[in-house]
Amino acid sequence: MRKVLVVLATLGLIAGLNTVSAQAKVKLAFWGLSDQNSFITPILADFQKANPDITVEFTGYSIDALKESLKVAAAANSLPDLWFTWGGSLGSFYVENGMTADLTATAKAEGWGSTYNKAALSLSTYGGKLSGVPYHLNAMTTFYPKALFAKLNIKEPKTFAEFEASLKVLKANKVTPLAFAGKNGWHLMRLTEVLLEHFAGPAGHDDLNALKTSWKSPAVVKTFAKLKEWADLGYFPKGFVALDPQEVETGYEAGGMGYIIEGPWYDGSMVSGGFDPLSLNVFPFPTDQKPVRMSSFAEMFQISAQSKDAQRAAAIKVAKFVTGPETVAKYIDAYGSSAVVGAPTSAKAPHVKPMADLVGQGNFLVGDQALPQEVVQKLFEATDKVLLKVWTPDQGAAAIQTAVDSYKKK
Amino acid sequence: MTHRFRVLKPWLFLFPAAVIYLIVILVPSLYTLGLSFFTWNGAATAQITFVGWDNYIKLFTEDTVFQLALTNTFLWTVGSVLVLTSLALLLAVVLNRQLKGRTFFRSVFYFPTILSGIVVAFTWRWMFHPEGVINGFLSLFGLGDAAPSWLADPSLAFGSVFVTSLWFGIGQPLVLFLAGLQTIPKDPYEAAIIDGATPWQQFAKITLPMLRETLIIVLATIFIGGMRVYDLIFAMTGGGPAETTQVLASWMYYQTFQFNHVGVGSAISWLLVAISMVVIVPYVRFSTRQAEQ
Repeated sequence: MRKVLVVLATLGLIAGLNTVSAQAKVKLAFWGLSDQNSFITPILADFQKANPDITVEFTGYSIDALKESLKVAAAANSLPDLWFTWGGSLGSFYVENGMTADLTATAKAEGWGSTYNKAALSLSTYGGKLSGVPYHLNAMTTFYPKALFAKLNIKEPKTFAEFEASLKVLKANKVTPLAFAGKNGWHLMRLTEVLLEHFAGPAGHDDLNALKTSWKSPAVVKTFAKLKEWADLGYFPKGFVALDPQEVETGYEAGGMGYIIEGPWYDGSMVSGGFDPLSLNVFPFPTDQKPVRMSSFAEMFQISAQSKDAQRAAAIKVAKFVTGPETVAKYIDAYGSSAVVGAPTSAKAPHVKPMADLVGQGNFLVGDQALPQEVVQKLFEATDKVLLKVWTPDQGAAAIQTAVDSYKKK
Repeated sequence: MTHRFRVLKPWLFLFPAAVIYLIVILVPSLYTLGLSFFTWNGAATAQITFVGWDNYIKLFTEDTVFQLALTNTFLWTVGSVLVLTSLALLLAVVLNRQLKGRTFFRSVFYFPTILSGIVVAFTWRWMFHPEGVINGFLSLFGLGDAAPSWLADPSLAFGSVFVTSLWFGIGQPLVLFLAGLQTIPKDPYEAAIIDGATPWQQFAKITLPMLRETLIIVLATIFIGGMRVYDLIFAMTGGGPAETTQVLASWMYYQTFQFNHVGVGSAISWLLVAISMVVIVPYVRFSTRQAEQ
C-alpha cells in the first residue's frame, strides 16, 4: 500500500512539473511574407534566444497567398496569434470583424508614441483603436535616372508644367517618359492618384477616398483625361495596360525610361538586379499643392483577439521586438523603411531617409487601401477602359461613382 | 450470409472512396450551395444574413463583369470543344500513321501537358510581350511597327490566352485519340478500300464511329476543363485589360477573396456547376446509351 502511495505521489509530482513547464512555455503561430525571410528568420532566432519561454512558429507566404490564407483562417476562426498585414481596407477587415486586439491602452502605457512614427501609428489605427504594431512606413515618390536627365539637360521638375515639359523632352529623345504597368491596376494607380492630388487638391482627394464627394467630379474627369492624353502621346511603354509591373520595374533598372513611382523597397530591387540605387534620384511628384503630400501606407503586425491572455501578451512582445529600434538597427540593410522614429539608414538603401523625410511633410493613404476593394476594382477597370478608349473620362468617372453608390447601399 | 456479403462486397470496396468523396467534395459543395443564399463577408465573427436568390439575381442584373465573364466562359468552352477536339483528332490520325519521326512528334505535342499552368502562362506572356518573340518574328517581315500589343488590346487579349490554352491542352486529347485509334482493327479499312471508299469516307464511316467512346471522354473532359479555366487567365492577364478576359472561375476568386462577397462567390461557383451538369450529364448518358446500342 505504501509503495502504491509513493508511486502515485511521484506520478503526481511529474505531472505537476510538466503542467508548470507547459504553462511557462508559450507557443505562437506567426504568419508573414516569405520574401522577408532573410531578416525575419534571424530576428526571430534572436528573440527566442532572449525569450526561451516563447516559441514562435513563423510561416512565410507570398503576397496573394497570405491574403487568401488569412481570409480562410478568418472564416474558420483560426487566425494565427500574430500576422503581417497592410493597412487601409486590407487590414481593416480583421478589425471590423473583431478579430484583432485593441492595442490602444498598451501603446499608451508603454509610450509607443516615442518609439513609432506618428504617421505609422495613425495608419495602424481604425475607429480610434490602435489595431496593429507598426512595422513599415512606406512613402512612394518619383524616381528618375540622374545621368540621363543630366545628359538631356532636364532639371528636377518643381511644378506640374515643368513635369509635363520634361515628358516632351524625354519623348523627343526616344526615352519612354513614364514607366508604368497596368496589369492588376496598382502600379498605374500610383500615377493616377498623384494626378488626383494635383487636380482635386489634398482636401478634395481625401474626400474622394472617404467617399464623401462624388467621383463624377471635374477633378476625376481631368485625371482620366490627362492619363489618356499622355497615353495618346506615347509616353508609356507599348502595351503598358497589360504589362506586369515586374517587367517594367526590371526594364527601368536597366535604363531607357524616365520616371517611375516606387517605394523604399526599390533600392533593394536595384541592388538585387546588380544596379546602383545612387544612379537614381527621388523627388516629390509636383502636384502644385501645399503641402506636397506623398502616397503612403503602413504595414503592421495584427494580434489575434482570440488568443489567450498569455499568448496575446507574448505576441505583442514578439511584434515589439521585431519592429523595435534595436532590431531595426541590427538588420537595417535588409529591413526596409522602418516605422520607428529616427530609424537608422543603410548605405544599401540611400533613398529610405529622403523618402521618410518627405512623408513627414504630408501624406495620403494609397488608393487601393483607402478605398473599398469593390471601388478599387472599378477604378482599375475605368482607368483601363479610358486608356483603351472604350470609355470617355466622363464615363469612367461615372462608373466609379456607380460602384461607390452600390457599396454604400450594402 | 454469403449471398448478402456478395451483394455488399462492391459497396465495401467503394466505401473508403465514398467517404473521401463525401468529406472532400459533397459536404463542402453543399455548404457552398447554402452560402450562396446568404450575404457573408467570410469572417467567422461576422453576421451571415439570408438573402434568398438575391446573389444570383444581382449577378445577372447588376454585375456587368459577371455577364462578360459568363460570355467569355461560354466562348472559351465552345471554342475549346470545337478547336481542341478537331486539332487533337487530326494530329492523332496523322501521328497514327507510319511516318518518320512519329515518336518525336508525339512527344513534342504531348510535352506541354506535363508543364504547370503557371509556367505555361509566364512563358506565353513573354512571347506575347510587345517586344517578345512573336512581334520579333513579325518585324522580320517589316510588320514591327504594326505589331499589336496582344495582351493589352481588348479585341486580341482573350484570343491570345485561348491560343495558349490550345498549345497547353492539345496533349491529353491527342493521347486519348491515339489510344482509341490503335484499338480500331485494320480489316474494315481494307474492306472499304476494296469497295472504293475515299480517305474521307473511311474517316467518316469507320474511324469516327469506332472512336465514339473515346470521343465521349474527350468532349466531356475538354468541356469541364473549359468551364473551370483559371490559371492561364489569372497569370497572363489577371482578368484584364479592363476585365475583358474575366471568366467565371477568376471572377469567383475576386468576389470571394478581394471583395469578401463569399455569398456571391459561392453563387458563381454553383452556377458553374449547374451549367456543367446541365450539359455533361445528359450528354454522357445519351452517348453511353448510343455506344451500348
